[in-house]
Formats: sequence, structure tokens, C-alpha cells
Amino acid sequence: MFPKASSSQSSTGFSGSGALSHVYIRYPPLRCAIPEARGLFYDDGNKLLFSPTSDQVISWKTSPFSPLATPASDSVCEGPVLSIRYSIDAKVLAIQRSNYEIQFWNRETGYTFSQKCKSDSESILGFFWTDCPTCDIVFVKTSGLDLFFLDSELKSLHLVETKRFNVSWYVYTHESRLVLLASGMQCKSFTGYQLSASGIIRLPRFEMAMAKSEANNKPVLAAEDVHVVTVYGRIYCLQVDKVAMLLNSYRFYRDAVVQQGSLPIFSSKIAVSVVDNVLLVHQVDAKVVILYDIFSDSRAPISAPLPLLLRGFPRSITASSQSSSRNAEGSEAIDLSDTEAIIYGDGWTFLVPDLICDAANGLLWKIHLDLEAGIFPDYFLVFMMTPVILEVNAYLSLQAISASSSEVPSVLEFLQRRKLEAHKAKQLCLAMSRTIILERRPVSMVAWAIDILVTSYSYSIKTGSYLKEMKAEKRSPSGVPQVNSPSTIADDSASRVDAYGKSVKHESASGVHNESMNKFSTFSGSDSGDNVTIEPLKTSSGDLYSLGGNVESKILMGAEVPSDTVQSGLQSQLLGLGNNLLNSNVTNHQESQFTSAAVSPDEIYSFVFAPVEEEMAGDSSYMVSIIIEFLRSVNSEKIKVHPNLYVLTIQLLARNERYAELGLFVINKILEPSKEVALQLLESGRQNIQTRKLGLAMLRQLSLHHDYVVLLVQDGYYLEALRYARKNKVNLVRPSLFLEAAYASNDPQHVAAVLRFFSDFIPGFKSTSDHNSYCRILTEMNSSIAA
Amino acid sequence: MGLSSVTTGSDATKFCIFDLRRGQHEGEELDKILFFYPADLPFSTQLSVIGLSEGLITFTRGILMFFYEAEPDVWMVMIVEKSKESEAIWRIDALRRVLKEVHSLFMMFHGSIRALLDKEPSGGLLRSHLYTFIMDYLSDFLVGKKLQLPNFRDSLKERGTVQMLTIGREAAIEVQSLVRVLESCAGNTSCYSLILFQDLLVSTTLSAEDTINLFTYAVLRLSPRALSSGLSSWSYLRKGNVSSHAATGSVSANSGAVLDQFYRSSGGDPSYHIARPLQQDKWTKGKDGFLVSDIWKAEAGSSAAITPTIWLQKTEERVFLCTFQHRNLTLILLFPVISLLNEEQGISLVKQQVLENVSLSVLVIKYV
Repeated sequence: MFPKASSSQSSTGFSGSGALSHVYIRYPPLRCAIPEARGLFYDDGNKLLFSPTSDQVISWKTSPFSPLATPASDSVCEGPVLSIRYSIDAKVLAIQRSNYEIQFWNRETGYTFSQKCKSDSESILGFFWTDCPTCDIVFVKTSGLDLFFLDSELKSLHLVETKRFNVSWYVYTHESRLVLLASGMQCKSFTGYQLSASGIIRLPRFEMAMAKSEANNKPVLAAEDVHVVTVYGRIYCLQVDKVAMLLNSYRFYRDAVVQQGSLPIFSSKIAVSVVDNVLLVHQVDAKVVILYDIFSDSRAPISAPLPLLLRGFPRSITASSQSSSRNAEGSEAIDLSDTEAIIYGDGWTFLVPDLICDAANGLLWKIHLDLEAGIFPDYFLVFMMTPVILEVNAYLSLQAISASSSEVPSVLEFLQRRKLEAHKAKQLCLAMSRTIILERRPVSMVAWAIDILVTSYSYSIKTGSYLKEMKAEKRSPSGVPQVNSPSTIADDSASRVDAYGKSVKHESASGVHNESMNKFSTFSGSDSGDNVTIEPLKTSSGDLYSLGGNVESKILMGAEVPSDTVQSGLQSQLLGLGNNLLNSNVTNHQESQFTSAAVSPDEIYSFVFAPVEEEMAGDSSYMVSIIIEFLRSVNSEKIKVHPNLYVLTIQLLARNERYAELGLFVINKILEPSKEVALQLLESGRQNIQTRKLGLAMLRQLSLHHDYVVLLVQDGYYLEALRYARKNKVNLVRPSLFLEAAYASNDPQHVAAVLRFFSDFIPGFKSTSDHNSYCRILTEMNSSIAA
Repeated sequence: MGLSSVTTGSDATKFCIFDLRRGQHEGEELDKILFFYPADLPFSTQLSVIGLSEGLITFTRGILMFFYEAEPDVWMVMIVEKSKESEAIWRIDALRRVLKEVHSLFMMFHGSIRALLDKEPSGGLLRSHLYTFIMDYLSDFLVGKKLQLPNFRDSLKERGTVQMLTIGREAAIEVQSLVRVLESCAGNTSCYSLILFQDLLVSTTLSAEDTINLFTYAVLRLSPRALSSGLSSWSYLRKGNVSSHAATGSVSANSGAVLDQFYRSSGGDPSYHIARPLQQDKWTKGKDGFLVSDIWKAEAGSSAAITPTIWLQKTEERVFLCTFQHRNLTLILLFPVISLLNEEQGISLVKQQVLENVSLSVLVIKYV
């Protein structure tokens, strides 16, 4: 099914090349163009987009993303704006007015105060709010970091600590709580801090790799070439080396920074997004995007490079109309102008993790992943003819070939890790499983695929995410201080302030109205409920996806954690490295209540084995092999399976008359005893007496005396049935059954014996109609014999 | 005169008691009869029934005769001395199963007696096959020049049955998984397999009858014990101490001599090339773990050994017999002859597959 799904995807590229795409933005965007606006600013701490005008600040909520988000506004004094951010409790608005002054605005009282640099020799590069227990806001200056806390009346800042360095520029994302400070001639020496709710962690100083172009020409690293990304709860830094044309990746641990290897790039301008833990590397000049799943250590992309697509655009080319009608949310929207419709336009800024801001046109897009299309490396498209893409494809094809043997399992693994569209991922997994069985792929390969599904399910059971899926957890926001609420942790942006400052700055400012804040936290609350497994809220060493097998799960009941939420963090020992993982507090933004693509064994039976068996009617030995591998996998995870599967196995073996094997399966309890299994053995045993005996034995063993007795009667052993019933104290509800059987034997003595039995052992039997009628019958039988 | 001709009424069942000491004289025969059912049968008929019984009893005094119609109109008969042991009744049944076993094993390797007769109506081919095969079979029981069948308690009761290894569910699933891997080694053809741990059956995908036959052969000639001691590993031999082992060495030599004698005296024609699957000490374990034997030759006089084939009763197909052994584990893989175009090359390919795919699993399984 899945190959069809990808090939039938007839979405049309924006350029009209008729390409598939795995990554798309959906029309309509959030329109945030305001007359007299002085640029757009993004506050990743609160996930708000700001557009300041001369006397007020307009803000739009970006999470959950909605094109119809209504703007809110705060009135502020006139003045230049370099950046804007709400405090994490949304009570205070901070605006950087110049590189030596930041102004604060109490949103309730309207009280205003300013904080300025003391010395002329330093300037403010930027600032961010933090949920760190010892401070509320951090100023990043050319001379280092200043950590302040805000007094309880919200009237002034008090300096907590100063950390002295030379800083050329910095990168911060709220998602990772990590600030990286660049210094040195080439700006490639880094100092980092993680300021999270569990405290402040200083990272060891490290250097990024920079290739030299010529002997005396040392390139300088710029802020836009460094991206901090959070994937599967791990924090990575991706650094563009324009000379080597490589994207170097570094992973952060509590006490180490480890270079992880490099990805090739095909454009000197690179942007990075993360959607549902999938890394999207935008090759901006080439106007394509390549997907990586860096959970596995493979550097191979999970997709061909394909253009970013605009879907649902009413004016787009007819070929796309089918798919667009599916996605369109209404065609009443105003058409985009030609300039607005340029994908990877010059005005685009990529906001971490998954937003694109078109500052020139005042549009905000959210990036989506299409799981059905294009995530399979062997469905490369060859009709994209630009030289760059051909080069990219040539490179990737090699990778795909080397990875082809493990292709299906790795795609399944990838799908199982999806959380954003977990339901769709799950359906795809089921469809793929059906397909590989129908295509009769080698058993070992199918076994591998099954192992992945079962392991993933077992994992989701252990962490509770599978059950969460069943009943969407309700959590009341209950006025928990925003500082400690998981909702704030989710937010994230990259702020880069340097000489080449951009029109989009990342700002914090309070939510618009209290009402909307409450709503916001409700959404976030459900987010954290969904994410309960990943969120080691305040620990700095949680990592859900451990590399090693030793996943030690423990329940953290931090004081800040609302008591109705059980936050389970998983601590893992990193293989080889003795480091603690530097965690990030990840919250994914859920769009559905499904948080896990995990497939239960029952679902594997119902949606894979049962339908596949129907289609494959005939050859059952292959199916049996698959089921054995499934049982092996399930057994190793100590999961029970529904007797239906055993029943199916019996049917398959009996169909090929493999009764000896069937006997072995029963004797060795590969088919666990149950009433369903016993009855199927009896049914299949019509052609094989040994099999029938096994079924009868199983009934006895399960103490299903009543069924056993009834079966004995059916087989004509009614006297034995009576003896058995007497011995095991079976309540016989239907004496007539036995009487009929005895009558059928045409032997009056048997009828008499059965009558006597019931008369003796069933109180009141003598007054029943059965007794009377069979006494009469018995008399007739005797008289006819005598005659 | 058969019983059937005596039967006049609809009731073929007869029941009588007579005394051999009575009615010794001519004309007094009726005196023997103490009871007869049905009583209304004519005396002449009653006497003929008694007379037939008397003849049989006199003839078989001190001996037991077993008759087994192995194939239509082909009878196997075994005559043994009467035993005084208490399980005599079961022994009779077990000895009858020996007849069946010999025939089943013969069929497994050579096909039916009738088919061999049809192939060469003179019977020379069949006789050669029968002599070599059954003598090889009986050589297990030869002590000196005398055949000594085991008594019931020692091993006879095991004849025609299969001893199973009891394993837990988890191990059973692992074994089944191994079975599928094993059977996938010959490609897409339908394969069968049999797995033994020491002399115990662990798994089979054959039918019940074929399982019994192949299991019997494996225990006789293929199991690790059979290979190492050169003995079949029925329990009565297992009990044998060192000295009896030494003695058995001479038994083999003797049996060879006996066989030669049979050849000469019974007109067995040595010019026929006869494969002797039950010949002792002919299987050895190769370096790659596969058992090899020079029993089967491409053609008479050729020294090149070929992979043996056997007939399966259930499916009536001829399959290659391919045995892999790792420590106590014996894996027997059977795949149809017709599935391979180039036989030896195909077989070595299958073996290669087995080595690649199975070795690792075997390591896991051996903990069962």
C-alpha cells in the first residue's frame, strides 16, 4: 500500500515542476502585516509573534498554529525596538530599546522602568527570560552574561551574578534553554550555559571545526551559520562550514560536547527546522529540503531532496487541485501576490522549530511533514532537472542503495518515532507490514519489522504513552505559575543578535489577555499530558531514547510539578560516554490525541495478519513462519496475545494437514491453552483424531467441564459424559441432550441408565416433562422389543 | 481349509474350549469339545475348527509367529522363541512393530517391494536389496552369530515410537523459528525438517509416519551417539559397559561375514550396486558440520559419494537427506529432488545457506 500512496500523491510543486513533496506549508498563512509596523519579532519563550507600531505591540499566538489567530495588543511608549519578549509568567513586557537599554513594562499596573549598561565599553547583544530558580532574566552583553531577578513588586531588577567573557555574538533557544556564546577571531570558540529550572550548567568550552579556504584567509563564523536544534530530547548544534560545504553536528552532554559527524550541504545558505523530531535541512539556494532522522546514528537522509511545497493554494495549478481540495481549509482566502508566493524567498526567516516568517510580506507559515509521501529513499524522483538537485540525488542514491536492505525496518522505526501525526504513522506502519507480507519478503526481514513494532509497543506500554492515547488526559491548568508549567518549556526560538541583526528578533512578552493565557495554558497542559513520557521536567539528565539497553525509568515528583501529573523521566546511561546527557525540555505540539504510533499485538492481528491471511489464501507455511516470529518477538517482551492468533495458526496448519507440527505446537504450549484454541482444535480435528484429542484434553485441562461434557455427548459418549459430569460436579442444564443421545442409540437400557442418573442426581427431575416423556418412550421401546 | 469356508451362519464369531488329551482315538474326536459357540453349528464344522486350531498350536509350540502383510500379498513373517517374561503380551506387540519398522525403513530408502519387483520381475534386484538391508538392520541384534532380540523392558517398547524432548514455551518458539530459517535455506521449495537433541525429537514438520521412520533412522545411524560409538543408541545398548562395546566391534565383523555368507548361499548378485543405508560406521561428521557417508554412489563402481535421497510416505515424493550436526543437536533438512536442476551444486548451495543462517541460531538453541 505505501508505494502506491507515495506515487499517487499528485501534489504540485510551487514551481510547477509537478514534484512530490514530503515537506509542505499549507495555505493560508497567518497574516501579520500591520500598517506602520516596525518589523516582526518572535518570542520563542512564549511562542508569540510581535509586530510593534509606534505606540503599541501587536502579538499573535503561534502555538497552536492557526491562520485565524486573533492579534492582541499592548500599549507601550514610543521608541526604537530591537527586540521584545514577555516574561515567562507573561506579566512583564521587556523591550530592548538600544544596545545599552532595556525597558520593562508591568502589564497590570503599567509601571515602567529601564535597565541600562553601566559601562560605555560594553553593549547589550540581547536578552532572554528564564525559568531558572536563581534568576528571571539574562542579559547577553559583549562583556558576558548578567543574571538578574525581578523583585516581587515587579519594579526593579537585581543583579544576581555576572559571568565575564568576550562575546561576539550568541545563540539562544528557549526549547533547549541553551545559550551559546561565540568568541575569538573566527568566532568559533564557544562557551555555553544551560539555564533550566533545575539550575545552571556550564558546558565545557569548545571549538567548532572550520575548514580553511586559503592559507591566510580564515573564515569567520556567523550567527546564522549556527543552529541549535532539539530532537528526541537531545540537544544538537549544527554548524555550517561554507568552505568545506558541510553541516557539522555536535551533541551536548552535561560535561562534554561531542562532534557527531557531518552532513553534506548543497547550498551556502542553510536553514534548519525540526518537525516532529525530524530534522529538516533547507538547502535555501537550491530550494530543496532534505530530511534526516538523527535518532539513528546513520547519516543517511530519509528522503530524497524535494522542494518545499505550498498546499491548499486556491490559485495553484490544476494538477494540484485534487490534493489541494483535500487540504484546503476554504477557498475564500485572498490570493497571494506573485512576490508572496516565492518559496525560499529572500524575506524568509526560519523560526525554531517549525515556522517560517516571511517578514517582507508579513506572513507566517508552519511547516508540515507528509509521512505518506517521499520518505522512502527508493522512490527517488529523477525528473527534477536542475544541476544541483541531480548532484544531490547522485549522492543520495548511493546512500539509499547501501541502506536498501534495511529500508523497510528503518522506515518503520522512523514512523514509530513520530508523535505529531501518530495516527497516520500507525496506519502507515500497518499498511507497510501488510505489504511486506503480501510481497512475501524474506521471513528474516519481516521478523525484523515485527520486532520493531513489538518493541516499540512494549516501550510505549512501559512509559504509559500507549494508554495515554486511549484516554486523553485531562489536566487543569489551575493557575500554576507559568514559570514552572511545562507549557512554557515547550517554547523555543533561536535568537541571534549580532552585527547583522535581522528584522525578526526573538522577544518575550506577556500573552495578550488573561483569558487567552488561560486558554493557552490549557493547550499546553494537554501537550504536557501527552508528553508525559518525555518530559523530565526539571532534571537535566533525562533522555527518553537511550542508546543502551539499560533504560531506567523513574518517577519524578518535583515540587513544581502539578501533583496530578506523573512526570516520568527516563534516565539513561550513555553508552561508552560517562556523561550525563544534557537534556532539553521538549514538548511537541500535539494536533491529535494520539501520541504514539505504537501498534498493539491485537492490532497487528486484526489489521495485518487477519486481512493478509485472507488475501494470501493458499500458502500457509509462510504465514506460519511470520506468526512464529511474531510470537517470538511478543514473548521476549512478555506481552500476551489474543487467542485469535492461535486460532488462526491452527487453521493454517490444519489447512496444509500439518497435524504433527500442530501437535508439537500444542504440546509445547506455543499455542497457549484457551477455550478458543481448544474449540478450534476440535474443529480442525474433524479430519485428524489426534488433533481432536488435543482439543478435548485442553478443555479438561482448562476445567471447561461443561463444554467437555457437551462434546462427549455430541460424539456419542453420553455415558462417559455422565460419569465425567458426576466426577467433576458439572451442573448439567440440559438432561434432554443426554436423553436424546441415548434414545438415538436405540438401546432401552441406555435410556434407562440415563433416566436413572438424572432421577438420582438432579433434584426435582422426576417432575419435569423430560422425565415423563422419556419414561413413556422407554416403555414403548421395551414393549416393541418384547414384541 | 480356511475359517471362512467353515462359516455358514451370519455369525462369524466362534468360541470354543477343548482338551487335547481327550478324544485321541479315531471316532472319539467329539470328546475333545468341552464348549462350542454357536452350539447349533454342525459337528463336522465344529471339528474342523478344532482340528485347525490344534494344528496351529502344535506347530507353534515353543515359538511365536508374527505375520505382517507389509504390502498387498507381500507377507513378512518372524518366528521367535517364546519368552517367559511377564510382559510377553506386550513383547508380541512390540515384535510385530519391528516387522513394520523394517518395512517402513526399507520403503523410505528403496521404495516399495512391489515397485522393485515391477522394475525387475526376476526379483534379483529386490532380493539383493532385501538381503543387504535387512541383514544390516539385524546386525544391530547380532551377538556372535546369533540374533538376540532385546526383551521388552530394555528397548523393544520404544520401537515405532518417538521420544520427545520436553522443552519450555520460549525454547519451543525459538526452535520453531529455527525450523523456519532452516527450511528457508532451500529457497522457495517446500521443505521438511526434523530436529533432534541427542536421541530425542525436538521438532518435526513431517507427517507422523515419516517422522517415526526418519527418527528411527536418525537414532540408529545419525545421532551423535550413533556416530561416536558406531552403535545404534537404543537404550539397551546404552546400558552396555565397556566390555560389551569391545564385543560389539567383533559383532560388526561377524555380521559382515554372515552377510557374505548370505550373498553366496542365497544368490544375491554382487553386480548390483546396492546402497546400504543401515550399514554401520558409515556416517561421519565433516568439517563443516554436515554428516557425510560413502554409502550412496553416483553409479556402481564410482567412488564419488552423492547425497542420499529418501521417499516420504505422506507426500509420495523423493527428497534429499541433508544432516547438520552441532554438538548434541542434529538438524535434518529434507528438500524435494525435483527442486534442484544441478543436484550436487544445488545441494552445496543449500548447505552454504544452512551454515550461514543456522549457525547462529543453533548457538542460541543449544541452551534448551
